[in-house]
Amino acid sequence: MAADPSSVGASPARDAAQPVVTIQGLRKRFGEMEVLRGIDLQVQAGEVVALIGRSGSGKSTLLRCINGLETPQEGDLRVEGRRLEPDNPQAMRALRQRVGMIFQSFNLFPHLTVGRNVLLAPGLVKGLRGAAADDRARQLLARVGLADKFDARPDQLSGGQQQRVAIARALAMDPAVLLCDEITSALDPELVGEVLKVVEALAEEGMTLLMVTHEMQFARRVADRVLFMHAGRIHEQGPPQQLFEQPRTPELQQFLSALG
Amino acid sequence: MIDLDFGAVLAQWPLLLKGVAFTAGLTLVSAVVGVALGVACAWARAWGPRALAWGVAAYVELIRNTPFIVQLFFIFFGLPGLGLRLSPEAASVLAMVINLGAYAAEIVRAGVESTPRGQVEAGVSLALSRAQVFLHVVLPPALARVWPALVSQIVIVMLGSAVCGQIATQELSYFANLIQSRNFRAFESYIVATLLYLALAVALRRLLNWAGPRWLFGR
Amino acid sequence: MVDFTLWDIVRNLLLAARWTVALSLIAFVGGGLVGLLLLVARVGRWPGAAGLVAGYVQLFQGTPLLMQLFLAYFGLPLLGVQISPWTAAALALTLYASAFLTEIWRGCVEAIPKGQWEAAQSLALSFGEQMRHVIGPQALRIAVAPTVGFLVQVVKGTALASVIGFIELTKAGTMIANATFAPFTVYACVALMYFLLCFPISAWSRRLERRLSLGR
Repeated sequence: MAADPSSVGASPARDAAQPVVTIQGLRKRFGEMEVLRGIDLQVQAGEVVALIGRSGSGKSTLLRCINGLETPQEGDLRVEGRRLEPDNPQAMRALRQRVGMIFQSFNLFPHLTVGRNVLLAPGLVKGLRGAAADDRARQLLARVGLADKFDARPDQLSGGQQQRVAIARALAMDPAVLLCDEITSALDPELVGEVLKVVEALAEEGMTLLMVTHEMQFARRVADRVLFMHAGRIHEQGPPQQLFEQPRTPELQQFLSALG
Repeated sequence: MIDLDFGAVLAQWPLLLKGVAFTAGLTLVSAVVGVALGVACAWARAWGPRALAWGVAAYVELIRNTPFIVQLFFIFFGLPGLGLRLSPEAASVLAMVINLGAYAAEIVRAGVESTPRGQVEAGVSLALSRAQVFLHVVLPPALARVWPALVSQIVIVMLGSAVCGQIATQELSYFANLIQSRNFRAFESYIVATLLYLALAVALRRLLNWAGPRWLFGR
Repeated sequence: MVDFTLWDIVRNLLLAARWTVALSLIAFVGGGLVGLLLLVARVGRWPGAAGLVAGYVQLFQGTPLLMQLFLAYFGLPLLGVQISPWTAAALALTLYASAFLTEIWRGCVEAIPKGQWEAAQSLALSFGEQMRHVIGPQALRIAVAPTVGFLVQVVKGTALASVIGFIELTKAGTMIANATFAPFTVYACVALMYFLLCFPISAWSRRLERRLSLGR
């Protein structure tokens, strides 16, 4: 399936014909340890996919393969029809303009204000500067509920606010897919809600989301599909209703009961 | 009874002023170029190709294990043997840049290597190129972290520049020597020069601690 | 003009290098002793000592070593003391080393957590006993690497003694370069000899530092 070069700013559309992410036979080893043991997955545009599972099951590694932070040893990985080329820096940069990532530890740039954090990449990569850039950044910050924090520094914000800035920063690049790697795990419980609200709004607007999460209620409500990973494989998958209420495999049953 | 005559030395204040100005200028130029060289070397060692990283390591070890005066004499007296003849001023700047560059390389490298991995991953995930990640995400906080050490090293190089007077560079120690050769007030000349160096060291530290946050790493 | 072989040059430089080594050791050991005294004065909280030592350190760290050498060489004769370049250089470098070493060691002592002092005091140890049996040994462990590293600075500092006429490696190099009209070769040899003196010391200091951080 040939991909046509997506234009900057194209909004993700519900297009069942071409999956946004296609993975076949993905394997990833760290030294002797095999973390991904053959992953097959297709994600459609506009789909919200939640990945759940124990630590060490390979969830984060899978996510990090999709934007090239990890390189798999075997397998076919395509985003918007294009194969990943880990050895080609240009190609990887082009990929990362289409795939955004939000991290567990936010990773905001401490030496830049909130506004500059959001503006840095669009300025350097897409040449977006000046008043138009500023407006865009303010719009995005308003979208995550932080319009008044444009000139604040990251260390002046709470964890929840920092994470929302991180979301605005990733959105500034107009990605087709957002990867969320346990984005609320490092937050105090009372701050989790504000971040999940933003993510839910993104899902409603039709953003393609892959989320590694422990927030089961959230996954149930928002996800179109849930993947349960176990020992490096996708052990079970299906709509949240089915997975949470009728777990078929003992591993998933055990996982869900341990959550209480 | 010790007969000291500071007046004879202080009367030569235009020469002393000239010397102070030249030392200050020499230091500032060398500091800018030297730190830039140090940053380039730090990048080469952390992220550059193997051969280059090794070359930089050799350069750093060579400079750090030989005295500055020998480096200066080699450049000013030794290079003409290869046909490269430099003026005293040019030789002084070159020697100071090469010297500071080696120390700055190590200092900045320590700063760069202490960058949390998440910062680099965030930059990379935003489709920034490696150069952009280094310049915009890694370097400013790294410089902020190592600024005190870098400032100290620049002050050390400034104090070391006193030796440049030996090859007739018209900086402060040169004029101190000149003054004492005229009025035979060696002790007084050197006391005055020493105090001027001390004042320069204090002023330089203040200036750099003000300039760094303002221009280099925005805090 | 006489033809000089490379060996002639190297041989003469090696002879002069003995003086570099001698001066370095004297300054380092002498500086260490003075520095230790200053450290005890500072840490022992003798009235006014902390301020005086701090001032002393600032003076030596904030002024060029070259000026310190000049002052030693030209200052003492004013007091009627006849001084040779050797004595002036030894004196100036010893004081210079003492200032830096006492500062390095102060840092090491201050790196010891306050709890150690408090525990030692609570056991009714006198100040001297606290230093000797509790703080000292721990500070010593931290101090070895930077102290060894400073020896390199002292060796490099001896090169400046050439300016006041003391015949060590650098001065010999200048004289030989003038005699042989081969400054490139001569200064290259001089640099190489300093490198051979200093690099092993630097490498040793780094190894000590690594061993220390692994052992913690």
